[in-house]
Amino acid sequence: MAAIRLENVTKRFGSIAALDGVSLEVGDGEFFAVLGPPGAGKTTLLRTIVGLERPEGGDVYVDGERVTGVYPGDRDIAIMFQNLALYPDKTVYNNLAFPLRQRKTPKDEIARRVEQTAQTLHIGHLLKRKPAKLSGGERQRVALGRVLVRAPKAFLLDEPLSALDALLRLEMRAELKRLQRDLGRTLVYVTHDQVEAMTMPERVAVLREGVVQQVDTPENVYHRPSNQFVATVVGSPPMNFIQCRVGVRNGVLRLHHDLFDVEVAAKGLSLRQTLSEGTRCLLGVRPEDVHVEPGGSAGVPATVYVTEPLGGETVVDLRLGDHLVKSLAPPTLQLRQDERVGIRLDPRRLHVFTQDGEAVVSAAGEDLFAVAATVPAS
Amino acid sequence: MAEIRLENLTKDFGGLVAVADLNLVVDDGAFIALLGPSGCGKTTTMNMISGLETPTSGEIYFDDQPVSRVEPGRRNVGFVFQNYAIFTHMRVYDNLAFGLRVRKPRPEKAEIDGEVKRVAEIVGVSRILDRRAGRLSVNDMQKVALGRSMIVNPAIFLLDEPFSNLDAAFRAYMRAELKRIQSEVGQTMVYVTHDQVEAMSMADRIAVMNLGVLQQYGTPGEIYDAPENRFVAGFVGSTQMNFVPAALVPLGLRGGVNGRSLTVGIRPESIRIVDAGAPEATIGARVTLVEPLGAKDVVHLAFDEYDVRAIGTPGERPRIGENVGLALDPGRVHMFDDETGKVVR
Repeated sequence: MAAIRLENVTKRFGSIAALDGVSLEVGDGEFFAVLGPPGAGKTTLLRTIVGLERPEGGDVYVDGERVTGVYPGDRDIAIMFQNLALYPDKTVYNNLAFPLRQRKTPKDEIARRVEQTAQTLHIGHLLKRKPAKLSGGERQRVALGRVLVRAPKAFLLDEPLSALDALLRLEMRAELKRLQRDLGRTLVYVTHDQVEAMTMPERVAVLREGVVQQVDTPENVYHRPSNQFVATVVGSPPMNFIQCRVGVRNGVLRLHHDLFDVEVAAKGLSLRQTLSEGTRCLLGVRPEDVHVEPGGSAGVPATVYVTEPLGGETVVDLRLGDHLVKSLAPPTLQLRQDERVGIRLDPRRLHVFTQDGEAVVSAAGEDLFAVAATVPAS
Repeated sequence: MAEIRLENLTKDFGGLVAVADLNLVVDDGAFIALLGPSGCGKTTTMNMISGLETPTSGEIYFDDQPVSRVEPGRRNVGFVFQNYAIFTHMRVYDNLAFGLRVRKPRPEKAEIDGEVKRVAEIVGVSRILDRRAGRLSVNDMQKVALGRSMIVNPAIFLLDEPFSNLDAAFRAYMRAELKRIQSEVGQTMVYVTHDQVEAMSMADRIAVMNLGVLQQYGTPGEIYDAPENRFVAGFVGSTQMNFVPAALVPLGLRGGVNGRSLTVGIRPESIRIVDAGAPEATIGARVTLVEPLGAKDVVHLAFDEYDVRAIGTPGERPRIGENVGLALDPGRVHMFDDETGKVVR
């Protein structure tokens, strides 16, 4: 069991800061994910926690104790890398037993722990095989087993599912989540896959170019992103951003677009500090909150650019002025290319960002907004 | 523009049959996807169309002309690969112009210029024409690669996983762009992918392959709503179809079981989570896990020894451990023969 804390950690490679003043706290027994695109510093973060990298600034604490200079082997934290690195000439049993033998664990204790780990991961029937005789998913389990068998205080996993095919990834996603819940041990999980970061952890840190953008529950990251970057990396298809101009009247924020106006009544938010009259801003709206009305009589006028059927739902790409907006529609909605439609934006689910991407308002279903999406009489 | 017809096409790599007796017609101007897991034969099929591989037997016709012995360069086929084939030391402009400049006779400068600008506009690189291609982002490089192939105006356009190195947001953007471009330009397009979302969202028709054998050829709607076999049913759909033995599901099975062992297949979105005792509940299950996706949840449920997945609404999220009822829409239940895997209708 271990709580992990990073305080203002900075790690440079030459002139590039892979981690730039990262402060994080992972609770004891928590499932914590780190999400970011390639090059965000995710792997460096894990390597710093386990002790394979020494930060130039800041400290790492495990259970309140400073471990920044402590040798990796003495931190009792296990890491599983993206490349599985199983011993090809050893059986599954010996692959699992290896980390214990290195620690001079008694033989019967090794047998007991290997047996138990194999049972947890459903690989009991594979113990006599060599890695070459295993499927991708089985190898993944064995690699995970090598990390589990040591029963460390905390586990760090670096993109453990990225090498698996789509179906297996779905299965392993749910399985890992159950496993962590059963074991109750601290798990830090690095991924570039927003679905994994949404579905598995209790909290997620979004990282960009070595800087933490937001640390929150997956739902808050989705519904209340702190900035445009976070809003873009979670959700598929990604959030739409529509350029608007700010108008303020009687303390009410009004966003002007050539084709519509949105009126924002955000109680208790001193909006004028960040958005002043006449400045440009971004209206953010997720595809599932853009509703298409066929016929084009009601709502904001738009035309169908393309439709992308996905089976259970359809992505409708709409041309709104000179911009494209993605909408998620039920598969039953039949639309032709270039057909004129009306669109409605769900007023309870809009986001407003400053021109440089900082979130000003996020509505996650509450009546933060009073909206008049009016079409100017032409 | 051309119609492509594959007749009894087979490719045997010394005993390993990569493609077995494939018959497929791609209509002139159609956008089709070859979809399947790695090793299914999709890339080999594409390589035979382009001429990079020669079929062991069978024939390929472009507009009724057999082409399997025609050199790749003479087939009038354009390519885009996973790894962007561009000249990194050249400007974007010269990359686009290249295919026209090597043409004999060489077109007039003004004509080349007009074409470069037209294609740059279509693929969205007009503003970076003077930049060195090697300095571009991965996303822009792939746009340039697409433009380079498009400018020579091939009769047939072949794309092999062109988006797999791009980030998710850009992939979503390019999907819509490519579909729109194809509908405007009207070239016959064959798109190879292992990603069912790409195949579903862009193609007019999808050829699903597995182990060298064509499993089904149909529109995205047919593939999704009327899969011919269990492989297709399980491969398409972002949350996989649920499969449980028919004997466990009281649905008044159509046609009866007749001694054959059957599996019921039902998509997660065709299952409604209701109260345990509700009259519409077909079966009972226990909630084991909820995976929030933002707009919706994937709810995992224990039913007998099976993990059943249903799509849930975040506002009505059940508790872990809760016993619930599952209402299955009988009109959306698929039946598969356990022996052959084929659908039973």
